[in-house]
Amino acid sequence: MSMDHHHTTLTDRLTFPEENKIATAFFGAGFVGIALSLIGLFVNTEQFFFSYLTSFTFIASLSLGALFFVMLQHITRSGWSVVLRRIPETMSFQLLWLGLLFVPILFGLEFLYEWTRPELIATDELIQHKQPFLNIPFFIVRNVIYFSVWAFLAYKLYRNSVTMDREANHALDRQQRVISAPGILVFAFTVAFASFDWLMSMDSGWFSTMFGIYYFAMSFQSVLAVVLLLVIYLLGKGLLTSTINRSHIHDMAALLFGFSVFYAYIAFSQFLLIYYANFPKEILWFYYRFEGSWIFLAYLFLIGRFVIPFVLLLGKKAKTNHKLLVGVSLWIVLLQFLEMYWIVMPILHKGAITFHWLDLTLLVAFFGVSAGLFFRQFARHSMVPKNDPLLAESLNKH
Amino acid sequence: MSTNQKTFGVLAEFANPADLMDAATEVRKAGFKDFDTYSPFPIHGMDDAMGLKPSKLGWIVLVHGILGLLGGIALQSWAMNVAYPMHIGGMPFLNFPAFVPVAFALVILLASFGAFMGMFFLNRLPRLHQPIFNSDRISKATDDGFFLCIEATDPAFSEMKTAEFLKSIGATEIEVIPE
Repeated sequence: MSMDHHHTTLTDRLTFPEENKIATAFFGAGFVGIALSLIGLFVNTEQFFFSYLTSFTFIASLSLGALFFVMLQHITRSGWSVVLRRIPETMSFQLLWLGLLFVPILFGLEFLYEWTRPELIATDELIQHKQPFLNIPFFIVRNVIYFSVWAFLAYKLYRNSVTMDREANHALDRQQRVISAPGILVFAFTVAFASFDWLMSMDSGWFSTMFGIYYFAMSFQSVLAVVLLLVIYLLGKGLLTSTINRSHIHDMAALLFGFSVFYAYIAFSQFLLIYYANFPKEILWFYYRFEGSWIFLAYLFLIGRFVIPFVLLLGKKAKTNHKLLVGVSLWIVLLQFLEMYWIVMPILHKGAITFHWLDLTLLVAFFGVSAGLFFRQFARHSMVPKNDPLLAESLNKH
Repeated sequence: MSTNQKTFGVLAEFANPADLMDAATEVRKAGFKDFDTYSPFPIHGMDDAMGLKPSKLGWIVLVHGILGLLGGIALQSWAMNVAYPMHIGGMPFLNFPAFVPVAFALVILLASFGAFMGMFFLNRLPRLHQPIFNSDRISKATDDGFFLCIEATDPAFSEMKTAEFLKSIGATEIEVIPE
């Protein structure tokens, strides 16, 4: 074993270059999106809230997936991922203000959630039966709990990590695991219930016990794609080129491959059980989402989120091919948005995919602001947890 | 050893994994093809040092997996349409979503068979006799010995010269192994 290739110190520049204006560009796009969407709010209020929820659940899934990724690295005490862990850490830091972005939805509850409409509460027996859970005050209380828990976890893990950049305090490293272990358990429950509240309760008669893990599977697949995109972006800018190596890219791609299969397994299991039993109350959710042109999106997810990544990423060489990985990752992130769209929109537009310009402006608004905040935060601290006790292991990964 | 006995190869022992890796590189550069290395644990980078090509096992597994998929779909399509058509909950006879679990399981089953038997085939197993065990020293390869053996089947093999060559690249012990 030749020892001369081994290194234990970082040789790259560790701060994101100030002259890079990518954050400003994203903020610019985001504010244009917000301005246009505000016009839309008065033009078509109902459409505004549906488009808003679509983009909100899309952005939330990325931040939540990132938080899970960080906690997973901590509880497994992973060495390999240390050099790229600051990227998902910074992504999950957005959970700090994600709750604020949820507030506008509270003003559109009557458009989005049929269980809030007084005339249905008075007449619909099923909604009456679900009232103890599906009522506005409890809905708000639950969401306050979700966002507080996530903000706490994301803030603590991020803060400890950047504090360790300044002082090599390895007691904090232990604290990361102490937070993450119960954190991942609480995360599982909060994400599941949040997906029940935000998305599943839109069809108030429908239920699927797998819906929580379905939302999680989509989130985690997408966040792996986003982290890969960011890593390849940094390498393309000549940053961290002797810190992040082929092997890190390979393992991220292998995870993306694996969780494409996991996504397919979960999404298909949910579908198959409901399809095969074919009970009226359960099948209705799929009925509306397979009706008319909506069925094309369903096939697109099967082919696009499973078959294509599976075939393209199966080979060993493909997993380090940057161009291929960028293509597959962008495609998966796009499909993640479309799947949120497919879950939310058939309630408003039954029977046919109906594009509205608000879908696009709100996506630009959310994505622009979120990406801008990411790059602004990313530029504030070292791009690598430079005092992490497992950094040397990560640098020498092969 | 008697002179009329055929030679299996020349076995060389090296002091440590780094020496063995360097030796493997030298042997490859000298143009030898039929040689192997023996060590108590896997050594990172040895595949490259020896110039080994990526294993064909992945392709064998892929072919078996595809056979499992096609076989699973064919089996169910035939059974549910031709052999024993049955109405189940008003579903069509050709009910592909329902075929997925069985087809998936057959992909896994045949791919595992492919991996297991493909490994035996590529390693030429099972084998009744492996001449390398004619050496007493080789048992150290499961403990603290690092060995390289150039086999007599190699076109560039010559008992004397090969032994000298191995000595020149740092072998601590040389042994000629009979067939």
